[in-house]
Amino acid sequence: MPNSQAPAPAEPATPSRRTFLTGAIAVAAITAGGPLFTACSSSKSTSNKGSVATGDALKKVLPAYVPSTLVAPDVPGVNGSSPGFTKLPDPLVVSVKAKPGKGSTFKAMTPIWGTVPKKDNAYYKAVDEALGATVEFDPLDGTTYQEKIGAVLASSGIPDLVTIPGWNMQGQIRNAIENRFADLGPYLSGDAVKKYPNLAAIPTGAWQMAVFGGKLRGLPNSGGVLGNAIFYRKDLVDAAGVALPKTADEIVSFGKSVTDAKNKRWAFDDLWTCIQKLYGVLPDAPHYWQLKDGKLVHKIETQEYREALAFARKLHDQKLVHPDADAGKDGDAKIRFTSGQTVMYQDGTGGWYGMVSEQSKQNPKFDMQALDYFAADGGTPLLWQDDQAGIFSFLNKNLPKEKIEELLAIADYAAAPFGSKEFQLVNYGVEGTHYHLKDGAPAFTDQGVQEAQPATLYFLAAPPPSIAHPDQPQMVKDYAGWMARQAPHLKKPMFYGMQVVEPTRYASLYTGFDDLQKDIRRGRKPVSAVEDAVSTWKKSGGEQLRAFYQDILDKNGSGA
Amino acid sequence: MRTRVRVAAGLPRHPGTDGTARQEHAAPAAAPTPKPPAPGITRRQRFRRDRTLLLMTVPAVVLLLIFNYVPLLGNVVAFQEYDVYGAGITGSPFVGFENFQRLFEDYRFWEVIGNTLSITFTQLILFFPIPIALALLLNSVFNDRVRAWVQGIVYLPHFFSWVLVITVFQQMFGGAGLIAQHLRQHGVDGFDLMTNPGLFKFLVTWQAVWKDAGWGVIVFLAALSAVNPDLYEAAAVDGANRWRRMWHITLPALRPVIALLLVLRVGDSLNAGFEQILLQRDAVGPGASEILDTYVWWTGIKTGDFGYAAAAGIFKGVFSVLLVLLANRAAHLLGEQGVYSKK
Repeated sequence: MPNSQAPAPAEPATPSRRTFLTGAIAVAAITAGGPLFTACSSSKSTSNKGSVATGDALKKVLPAYVPSTLVAPDVPGVNGSSPGFTKLPDPLVVSVKAKPGKGSTFKAMTPIWGTVPKKDNAYYKAVDEALGATVEFDPLDGTTYQEKIGAVLASSGIPDLVTIPGWNMQGQIRNAIENRFADLGPYLSGDAVKKYPNLAAIPTGAWQMAVFGGKLRGLPNSGGVLGNAIFYRKDLVDAAGVALPKTADEIVSFGKSVTDAKNKRWAFDDLWTCIQKLYGVLPDAPHYWQLKDGKLVHKIETQEYREALAFARKLHDQKLVHPDADAGKDGDAKIRFTSGQTVMYQDGTGGWYGMVSEQSKQNPKFDMQALDYFAADGGTPLLWQDDQAGIFSFLNKNLPKEKIEELLAIADYAAAPFGSKEFQLVNYGVEGTHYHLKDGAPAFTDQGVQEAQPATLYFLAAPPPSIAHPDQPQMVKDYAGWMARQAPHLKKPMFYGMQVVEPTRYASLYTGFDDLQKDIRRGRKPVSAVEDAVSTWKKSGGEQLRAFYQDILDKNGSGA
Repeated sequence: MRTRVRVAAGLPRHPGTDGTARQEHAAPAAAPTPKPPAPGITRRQRFRRDRTLLLMTVPAVVLLLIFNYVPLLGNVVAFQEYDVYGAGITGSPFVGFENFQRLFEDYRFWEVIGNTLSITFTQLILFFPIPIALALLLNSVFNDRVRAWVQGIVYLPHFFSWVLVITVFQQMFGGAGLIAQHLRQHGVDGFDLMTNPGLFKFLVTWQAVWKDAGWGVIVFLAALSAVNPDLYEAAAVDGANRWRRMWHITLPALRPVIALLLVLRVGDSLNAGFEQILLQRDAVGPGASEILDTYVWWTGIKTGDFGYAAAAGIFKGVFSVLLVLLANRAAHLLGEQGVYSKK
């Protein structure tokens, strides 16, 4: 075991082990190179006091990095943008030699954006056969995933594997992760990871994000530097003969010229996440801080936040936003976009390929492109860089040692790189059933679109970010090109690369702003309502939270 | 069932036209018979005599204990700074009434109570009479086939899930719905029922009517079917017209059922429809739509403040019990039996 401080994995958790107090004390100890945790029983409260791991202690829990050299990319990465692959190697390479599973059955809970595949389908069967184990997937709607995680983690029936996107870690979820999921350090830290070569190829920065409360708890799904984009229907924009907007004002005039409510077409869906990027608004926890005049300032205290809200409100007031989007029906955003009811919508860049491959059969004219970011005034945008891992999967801590090892071996299979037989099965399914090879590129069959194309096994673990879709070479070029154009404008936020677990008492402070921004954007409250909310936020613990982060900053320095 | 028996048993014997007077006579006949133990029979003898019956109640009692009473113990988290993911119930510190104090000091909580009551009373006034009216209407239809057909149609929406009902409403009355689009074609812009916070309580009432009014008819139809047709004939012979017959025969027959359901509904007032409202929370914002149940969900499940949420839940429970007691008392004062009575 590389890390002598890590407890034996199968040791059952006793209440005393769960009452760790980390926080300031632990951070101090860590920077001094001391023990990772300071168990403290002097305080009467047992709830989490918050934590972050940095420095040497962090290095000790991180797995070694052994990049994969199986296949070389066609479009190399620029400034950290993802490399692109446009064709498959022939023949496919083999990455995992033996069946990873030992015949066990695992239950997995993963998010899905799109249609849930049928249970017991041919794809699952083929995957289970290849794995030598049964993975029972329970994909749940990604747009309402946060509510479900809160309930599932509070219950005693936690699945063996749970995937949690970083943006869903609001409120108390990070505390739950510390308490509910297995410490993977003993299996993966340092050289131990070399037992799983594909997991060893995951970059260190991604693993760093999977350290919660000083321990390696998750398998990171390493993502690109910029995860969200405003997508537009190039086919519709060209048909309308309108120029793409380059400033916030032009967005409004663009919206007016393409909105045609009589014919059920609106310019925009809910664009809030990306509107914030146009105004350089900070991301969410723990990246919602910025140093101004030597003081930490929260995003809700900034002028940019108010300007972004006012702009979003303007789009609503001018009736440029689809009414169903304003009614909070986020789950149907994709359908509104593909059916042409909206011209622009926002999505994770991960959704780009799925939509293009789905529409390429149904609507050959469908042309979806990502809008280049610009600052609201038309200048250079300030884009806050995304963490190196945005989605994580966690293993139930009640799993015995053998099962954890088995599941990690399965994860290793799922993380096989592009160009391997394993990658092909995970991402495309079975040749002949789910896809056909056409000019050396896989093309999905209808069954493939239903069963193999929605990401399921992918969430268990995935290779380092690449844009590798030989069936959609044009989309690969569009995507890799867009990302390379945005990359120069990226800036790392204050606490970049740190997984900060906020103290339980303050972890819920920010959640009210989620309601507030909707109320403001949808015309139910004025922008000035932010002021009241901010003063309530300060009174109910905002200042203490600021001090908590200031302390981390003082002791560890910035992650930017 | 008891009310139905009472109506059937009570009416033929007292074919008077005054509902109140008849009710007074009817009550003793229908009262259950919890007779005091006959002198000379000890508790043990009674137990032996009733053991088969007692044995038969055991499964129900066990289920009740496991699913209704044991979980009640979990309410202890309302008095703790409860850390659901870490320390658990045994390890979390007790903080007395701190959660309740925070609750009562929170302006949002009072806003939530206001919303809950306003939605409930809108429903009580606008929704409650509709199944009764519908039952009377159906009862007056003599063609059995027409009646079955209408009944089938009005029952059907009850079996739709709320997700479906709200999607149907969105497609019909939303800003991009059928009606809005039709109006737009004719130059009227801006129709959107689904995102109007001011109309929200009427919207949810309307949805409830569409979904459940047909279902609510069943109980009233059952009560109506128990009315002796001779009464109508006799009244008709005496020259009573259709309205007088309804007023003096049909409605009095329904009175006990109406009172019973009203008491239950009042006790249920703080349940304004969790799922239905949660699904539309984002459309109108929490200012108009947050009710106690969604608030408990939001603070507990979504933000993880379980102690606080449990305190809100307990408040709801206590308040509901008080409402049931009050409504029951009111029913007694009006000469009805209500949900239960002491005698």
